[in-house]
Amino acid sequence: MKLRAVKGIIIKDLRELRREKMALFWIFIFPLMWITLFGTMWGGHNPPVSLDVGVVYTNENSAFTAHNVTEIMGNVTLEGVHIFRIKKFASEESGISALKHGKIDSLVVFPPGFGRNVSTGRQAKIYVYFDRSDPQEYQIVRGTLMAFFSEMEKRMREKKIEIQLEYIEKYMPTGEYNITPEAVREYLIASAEPLRIEEKEVSGNAPTPIKFYITSFIGIQFLFATMLTIGSGTLEEIEKGTLRRIAASPATAWDFLAGKMLSTFFIIMVSIFVGLVYSRVVFGETIVPSPLGWLIIFTASVFSMSLGLAIAMATRSIKSTTAVVNFISMPLLFLAGIVIPESIIPSWARPLTEYFALGRALKDFRLLEIYHRPVRDIMPGLTLVGVETAMMFLIALFLYRWAMKRMEV
Amino acid sequence: MKAVRAIEIRGLKKSYNGFQALKGVDLEVNEGEIFALLGPNGAGKTTLIRILAEGLGYDSGEIRIFGEKLSKKTARFIGYVPQESIAYDLLTVEENLKFYADLYDAPKEKISQLIDYFDLPKKKKAKELSGGLRRRLNLAIALLYDPKILILDEPSAGLDVPSRRELWELILGFRKEGKTVLISTHYMEEAEALADRVAIMNEGSIIATGTPEELKSLVGEESIIQIEGLLNGLERLKDKFRLVEKDGVARIHVRTPRESLPEIVETLVRAGSEIRVIKIEEPTLEDVFLKLTGRGLE
Repeated sequence: MKLRAVKGIIIKDLRELRREKMALFWIFIFPLMWITLFGTMWGGHNPPVSLDVGVVYTNENSAFTAHNVTEIMGNVTLEGVHIFRIKKFASEESGISALKHGKIDSLVVFPPGFGRNVSTGRQAKIYVYFDRSDPQEYQIVRGTLMAFFSEMEKRMREKKIEIQLEYIEKYMPTGEYNITPEAVREYLIASAEPLRIEEKEVSGNAPTPIKFYITSFIGIQFLFATMLTIGSGTLEEIEKGTLRRIAASPATAWDFLAGKMLSTFFIIMVSIFVGLVYSRVVFGETIVPSPLGWLIIFTASVFSMSLGLAIAMATRSIKSTTAVVNFISMPLLFLAGIVIPESIIPSWARPLTEYFALGRALKDFRLLEIYHRPVRDIMPGLTLVGVETAMMFLIALFLYRWAMKRMEV
Repeated sequence: MKAVRAIEIRGLKKSYNGFQALKGVDLEVNEGEIFALLGPNGAGKTTLIRILAEGLGYDSGEIRIFGEKLSKKTARFIGYVPQESIAYDLLTVEENLKFYADLYDAPKEKISQLIDYFDLPKKKKAKELSGGLRRRLNLAIALLYDPKILILDEPSAGLDVPSRRELWELILGFRKEGKTVLISTHYMEEAEALADRVAIMNEGSIIATGTPEELKSLVGEESIIQIEGLLNGLERLKDKFRLVEKDGVARIHVRTPRESLPEIVETLVRAGSEIRVIKIEEPTLEDVFLKLTGRGLE
């Protein structure tokens, strides 16, 4: 191998890249835009949910009425945000119409007699309407509203128990039974609330959203920038005829390939480094890969370069290479778990995260660098990625040799 | 004293997908001479040059460079200037030369020497250069490792007249420095202006070799009547005379101009021609090609 020639090819590629504005955009700016966009949307602190809730009730002359319930709802705040914005409707029909047209998120109907029933200790009914056309929004709205009524129901039960206890203490004969009012109180409270659940927080190893999107950015670099840089770069040299000149020089087509792969690798590493620093500066969080993490990045980039080169040598056209890379990479962004978590990938696509080298490499990288899983947990995956990379590398070399032969250099 | 053969080719054959591009070419280029391969597009000139300079494979035959078989080692004697620019558009002149110097393992001091020699703007990007400067940059790249043989493919194609003249001066300068120059061209003026010897190629074969004067003598005692204007009725002359017409200029080969001219003019005028200029000239290499192949160079 002619080291001076290889060095010359690397320097030439870097100089060209520095002056190629479109390439700079796709390699550096586009992935940073990705981190910024997703980091801003989902990476930071999200304000509490706030819902528009329609209510329908009739005014009653009771101790506790539907109007009191809606007032309580309107006053519920979390972190200074009103959870429910109450809108009163004259009739159930008008409320349902507003819900159907998306003007409100839910409708709560208090039938006539609600206040009287509650105030006299009878069971009272509430009708709650939801729109299920958006399953995710339905879950959020239902969960929030039902949590409120569940809490309110609990408070009402406690109030009723207090009233009952007043009577028990007043009328229970003392000394006749071996039982105290305090024991009766505990029993009744436990009947009303058999389980008391208290929330406690720990700082776990689960990924923060921004760390997840940093790994997504690395995956995007492999799926697009790496493949296109080496594929199109090699084809440009073939189409321009400079590769023929290189091959006719003391350097060989293999020296050229070595230079091209090293320059691509260097460019991608710099872009990943820039992304990691950018994330630290803008979002205050980043990933500092361990040596094994860098090894995964290196292996994945070799796989990606090999795949890009193989596509370019098979199509032998820059336009076709760009089209094929986009055709392959676009669905893989989602189906191989590059930009969305594996948990929401459809089951039929999950093998891609397990067996497709880039999906698997990213999964193992996340396990290692975000969840801090021990090395032994990721070794099987890493071995698979290594084998697939070696195979793809050989295929790329074979196709490159075939293309050189067809070019007769 | 016997001339040293810089390039020696024997029975060279090359086919592409069933098409025979070279049909057994024999050629000898002497050290220190400017040798022109003259022929129309598709004659096989570029194929022959790519075999010599780019290592393109061939079917059979033998090629020797200074007596040694053509190989990666002997290819080092050859500097190649292709027709198209091989400079990278986004790199400056100096960066392009640095890149090719790394590739050819050429000494770095050669870069500034060549920039001065060819008067190149070293900080300008290749895409900002004129056609003439680009061609000079191609030449500089080919000369980085000081090859003994320089091969130029259609060196003045696409250049304006002043740039072409400048380039010819440079090529003539290479001969003074003792370099062997092989040029392929389909411009007979270029071959006549530069070449010590010329090989005429047609349809994959060399059909004649010699000095321009030797080749012109093949045309014999013939003279050329050159007629310019809006010409009609040339086809009526083709049975009796050999002629070639290009850009409103007809060159008609005749043995006795005094006797043939009235007949030619009468035929053309009767066919509705508007004749502007009539000249009687000596034959050119194009006329040689016409004589040998029955058709023009383009």
